[in-house]
Amino acid sequence: MLAPSLLSVYASLFFALLFQLFPWTGQGIIFRPDFMLVVLLYWLLRTPYLCNIGTAWAVGLLVDLATGSLLGQHALAFTLTGYIALSFQRRLVLFSAFQITLYVFGLLFFGRTAILILKLFAGSEALGWLYFWPVITGTLLWQIIRITFGSISRPKNRENR
Amino acid sequence: MLLAIAVAALSIIIMAVDARLNYLSQLRQAFIGGLHPIERIANIPSELIRDANKYFSAHSQLVQENHMLKQQAFEREVKLQRLNTLQAENEHLRSLLGGDSPTHPRATLGDISHTGRDPFRNVVIVNRGGQHNIQAGQAVVDSKGVIGQVTRVYPFSSEVTLITDKSLSIPVQVERNQLRAIAFGQSGNTLDIPYLPANVDIKVGDKLVTSGMDGVYPPGLAVATVTKIEQGPESTFAKIICSPIAEVAYHLQLLILELPDSIETDVSNLEPIKEESTAKKVKKSNKKRTRSHVSP
Repeated sequence: MLAPSLLSVYASLFFALLFQLFPWTGQGIIFRPDFMLVVLLYWLLRTPYLCNIGTAWAVGLLVDLATGSLLGQHALAFTLTGYIALSFQRRLVLFSAFQITLYVFGLLFFGRTAILILKLFAGSEALGWLYFWPVITGTLLWQIIRITFGSISRPKNRENR
Repeated sequence: MLLAIAVAALSIIIMAVDARLNYLSQLRQAFIGGLHPIERIANIPSELIRDANKYFSAHSQLVQENHMLKQQAFEREVKLQRLNTLQAENEHLRSLLGGDSPTHPRATLGDISHTGRDPFRNVVIVNRGGQHNIQAGQAVVDSKGVIGQVTRVYPFSSEVTLITDKSLSIPVQVERNQLRAIAFGQSGNTLDIPYLPANVDIKVGDKLVTSGMDGVYPPGLAVATVTKIEQGPESTFAKIICSPIAEVAYHLQLLILELPDSIETDVSNLEPIKEESTAKKVKKSNKKRTRSHVSP
């Protein structure tokens, strides 16, 4: 279990960026999850005192710069997703792990849709359903992160310790 | 809440500035330059795998390949002898007629480092950039034919948009009858030639080569072969589908051709051609050009 600190937040975001930059080739690239968004959501939901909307925006801008997409596209999408994530963050304590996973699935789907809409505004062609694969792989990645970094559903344990 | 609104507004402003004006390309270049070491780290695993594959490739395979290459070199040498005499003859004839001698552009060899981060854009990233005097707008070819055009230049790498990308168009000529047209990229790794009348003289299997009308692509490079033609009574235009000849997916090396001198100066004023948002504008202007070509 990763103890939440500012260092662990930024270190994990840095590693997510590395994964994002990893030169994926071939058909597998369709399944590549949004590493940055999943890690960002994890820290937003677990430690909103270390990581806020500003962080979400900065991370989105970083993704824009790294992927060569229109500047501000991911920034706006991550900001909106982060805002929704944070507005229900306090209630998540009562949720089970499965319910939180559903919530994250919804957030990832929303984020992906937001990017799609912004892309269509910028003159991209319609992309088809394959475009939404990262939502599913992202949810799987969430499970891995939840197990390795620690669950977010029981923050009371920390106070008892 | 206030912060969310503020950064959302900020990102909308940035998007508008990036799409319409060209102020942020400097920032992007600087950032990608700074990101270069991190990218190198991220590349290490795949490079290791590639090197290991090379190391363990079987001896017999290498011998076979060597044999094949020797044979190919021999065949090409024979052809080259004829080409040299033909070229001399051609230049002589051209000088007799007072025509310009054709220029042979210089080229830089580059390696494809990866196929871009976004699976839904037809781009490849090449390991040659501003430090190697690459400019936006340069044509990119491989041994078979045209691959595309450099659209963004970073310090150590550059982005090549493939001719099959929706935002790219390329002036072509049918090799058989010298008919000029403009081919547009289409989704699904094909090109299509719109705005040609239904009775146009194009057959399945025709080879399209660059016409050189744009001054970017040198004339005579193979672009695509016609794979399908739909001529229905319901449309005044033929629907011509072509598949590219260059094999981007199969090898890693490509050549980046230098821009001809005539447009080298203009390119700095042009914004990097064909970004997502300017695609429509480009298409519109090309439409005009096609029309003036078609109607004699």
